[in-house]
Amino acid sequence: MLRFTIRRVALSLVTLFILIFVVFLMTWLTPGDTARRLAGPFAPQERVDALNEQLGLDDPFFVQFWNLLVSVVTLDFGESFSSPGVQVVDLVQPALWNSAKLVFLALLLTLPISIIAGVIAARKKDTVLDRSIVTLGLASASVPEFVSGVILQYVIGVRLGWLPAISDIPDGTSPLGQIEYLLLPALAIVAVYFGYIARITRAGTISALDADYARTAYLKGLGTTQVLRRHVLRNSLQPTVAVTGTQIGYLFGGLVGLEIVFNYPGLGRLIFRAATTPDFPLLQAGVITVAIIFMICTLGADLIIAWMNPRARMNLGGS
Amino acid sequence: MDWKRLDSARRNAEPLQVDLIEAYAQKRIKRRDFVKRGTILGLSMPFMGAVIAACGSDDDSSDTTEGTDASTGTSVAGGSGAAGGNLIVAIQQGDSSTGLDPVNMLDLGTYNVVSQSFEYLVGVGPDGNIAPTALSTGWTPNETGDTWTFDLRPGVTWQNGSEFTSADVAATMDRLVEVGNAGLDGVIGAGAVDASDPTKAVFTLIEANGNFPVLVSLFNAQALITPVDFANGDTLDARPDGTGAWILDSFDAATFSAKFVRNPDWWGGQTPLDTTELRGFADIGTAVTAMQSRDIDAIQQFSVIGGEGLLNDDSFTVLTPPSANHRQVWFNLAAPDFAQKAARQALAWSLDRQQMVDTLFAGRAEIANDHPILSSLPFYDPDAVEQRSRDIDQAKALLAEAGIENLQVTLQTGDLQEVPQLAAIMEQNAAEAGITISVNTQSNSTFYEAGWCPELYGVESSDPATLPCESSFAFGIVDYGHRPIPDVYLGSALATGGVWNSSNYANADFDAKLSEYRQAVDVEGQKAAIGEIQKILWDDVPAVYPYFYNYLSGHDESVGGVQATALGHTILSSATKG
Repeated sequence: MLRFTIRRVALSLVTLFILIFVVFLMTWLTPGDTARRLAGPFAPQERVDALNEQLGLDDPFFVQFWNLLVSVVTLDFGESFSSPGVQVVDLVQPALWNSAKLVFLALLLTLPISIIAGVIAARKKDTVLDRSIVTLGLASASVPEFVSGVILQYVIGVRLGWLPAISDIPDGTSPLGQIEYLLLPALAIVAVYFGYIARITRAGTISALDADYARTAYLKGLGTTQVLRRHVLRNSLQPTVAVTGTQIGYLFGGLVGLEIVFNYPGLGRLIFRAATTPDFPLLQAGVITVAIIFMICTLGADLIIAWMNPRARMNLGGS
Repeated sequence: MDWKRLDSARRNAEPLQVDLIEAYAQKRIKRRDFVKRGTILGLSMPFMGAVIAACGSDDDSSDTTEGTDASTGTSVAGGSGAAGGNLIVAIQQGDSSTGLDPVNMLDLGTYNVVSQSFEYLVGVGPDGNIAPTALSTGWTPNETGDTWTFDLRPGVTWQNGSEFTSADVAATMDRLVEVGNAGLDGVIGAGAVDASDPTKAVFTLIEANGNFPVLVSLFNAQALITPVDFANGDTLDARPDGTGAWILDSFDAATFSAKFVRNPDWWGGQTPLDTTELRGFADIGTAVTAMQSRDIDAIQQFSVIGGEGLLNDDSFTVLTPPSANHRQVWFNLAAPDFAQKAARQALAWSLDRQQMVDTLFAGRAEIANDHPILSSLPFYDPDAVEQRSRDIDQAKALLAEAGIENLQVTLQTGDLQEVPQLAAIMEQNAAEAGITISVNTQSNSTFYEAGWCPELYGVESSDPATLPCESSFAFGIVDYGHRPIPDVYLGSALATGGVWNSSNYANADFDAKLSEYRQAVDVEGQKAAIGEIQKILWDDVPAVYPYFYNYLSGHDESVGGVQATALGHTILSSATKG
């Protein structure tokens, strides 16, 4: 397991290096005079030139790339372009924490519901219940989260007034109170991922239930619950774990539409703003943060799968 | 006519003010125009009231104060008006890369945040016109209108405790001149303010200007007075200060949200509210939803499209401050597409402006006539040119006469409010005249930088004197915020070499008339020059001006005492809640 872990971490680091290079290349190739944007259209040229020098924007390509690598290692991306005087890390940190809260709540709601629904659908394969779960899942997954978000926001937030229509959490709100603000966007995420995860769980469970070891377990006289718990779920949930691992990374950085709809200060909105401003240090820090989360989550998922399934460890050179 | 009172008024006025009094006494201008113009020339309300009383009644029934209601952008104190509390206002998320920089800011969200702490020399009255409600208590021009003296409000201190003096005004103006502020460009130069008397700021202008106080009012958004040692590039969040009613407590750059606490030493007294919060919204639709659910108390601006819920909400107070907001559809004359005047005129004739007003604003807009002069201005000339309305035959005839066939152009727009829909209507309208428009919409900030006037962002022009925006898109739509006088619309956007002249329009006759208008110190002189300007622009069509639209702002009915301007300000010093 240790060899497997080391190997996976090494692979992740290589991927991260390539990604950092790609992010750097994209920002480096972006046309326009960055210092002029920062100084403002009315600023004298001398100030623009001084800013170019101060920010190292005149440095050679590899020097700038090296500086970015150093920034990643030291977690010091300097000052934000769009918010002079504010450190990039001070912008990313709260946004990351906000995204983490939303993702955590969404997963807390999504995973149990979806897994239970998927297992039930598998157990009741080809019945009305199975088809209902699959159809409902397909329907909800086909609507983008920001669309279902708008509907939830209007119906529950504006018309019924049951929950806050926007997720701008006031300072000093208790953790329980914060859930109230996060519930609508979290439900919008649940709507999308319920169908996705339930279907994957269903397929994995059907496959596991059809496997020889499940039949053997039944023949040994074990009850359905015991078969599921001891033999089936351990195998059937591996695809679910893998998918969840990759989707968490997306949830951190990809919920731009939903965060705008709910005016929620998450990482996706921050990256979007950095990209449109454009604020290169913030953009680089935001994208690299999402990439690191993505890798940590997929690595975590792989480790869980490896723990669940020794064959996976063997395939990646573990022992 | 009470000649005795009138003579007394004349004796107490400066020469330019006497001219105005004469014009009113001889019924050459209406009472409303007399009040507007008198305010600009520094006449006080009681003084104007005395002149009006001396001259007897006229055809204009409006009184001198014009009331304080939602149509002037000011709401009367509402609800119980209880003291204390916090008010949350949804504002446009600032997209300027310059942060809370009072000198370089460019968007309404930033204007609103920065103007809570910093103040202007000239403020706004309850009628929506300029008034001595800010750092100057009054102003007077000299006989020729090229020197203006502003009396500074006594007892004003900066939030750091130091005293506000004319040196602060002089330093601020120098900073604005240094960066080429659009409103003051060509009006004052470096060292324009004599600060030898700390209680008076004496401005010497490059040439006479009859509207100068407006150019140092809140209608020149960047003209906020900052401390003498403030530097170009300093931001409010990096260096919180000001003379205003609110002290910046915190600013979250990521969400563009600012929290303010009451300034206990404000010269205007204690604000009813304890704190205020200006919360940035990236999407105006989300702000409207937040207003509908009452997660916020007030909204800086919303549009008719998407704002129907608020317009139909009985418990929501709509504020519509006087507005000359408009869209300018420019033709870059340096590009071949619309180099021929006939092509520009044909496009202008093909447009259905009534459809635009009805579809985009549900009637909450005024049809414009291809010049930026609002019809309510005292110097607007209604007889200068006929109102251009849709005439497809005329458009086709112009194209045929000029030998233009299959005109195909790309109309570039930002994704701002109704602008994409305006472009779509133009596309349909022009098609009937044989002009094929393809619309390209991009994010507003990208649009600005890529094609409105890229020279502002460092692109070199081959001839900045006549082609200040040479690299502009050939054909595009840009938004202009409210100004009570059209100097910026004419000087910066259309005069030869103007900093925002995306049309690269260069017309010596126009420049001469603009100079005449600027130097005219009486309404009649301004009207004569403006009438000629209307004719020139209507005929040349360097840009199409389809409409002026109402600025919409508002708040919950429990809120009162809020004043909005069509340039994005939400003045909260008298606001109450509850």
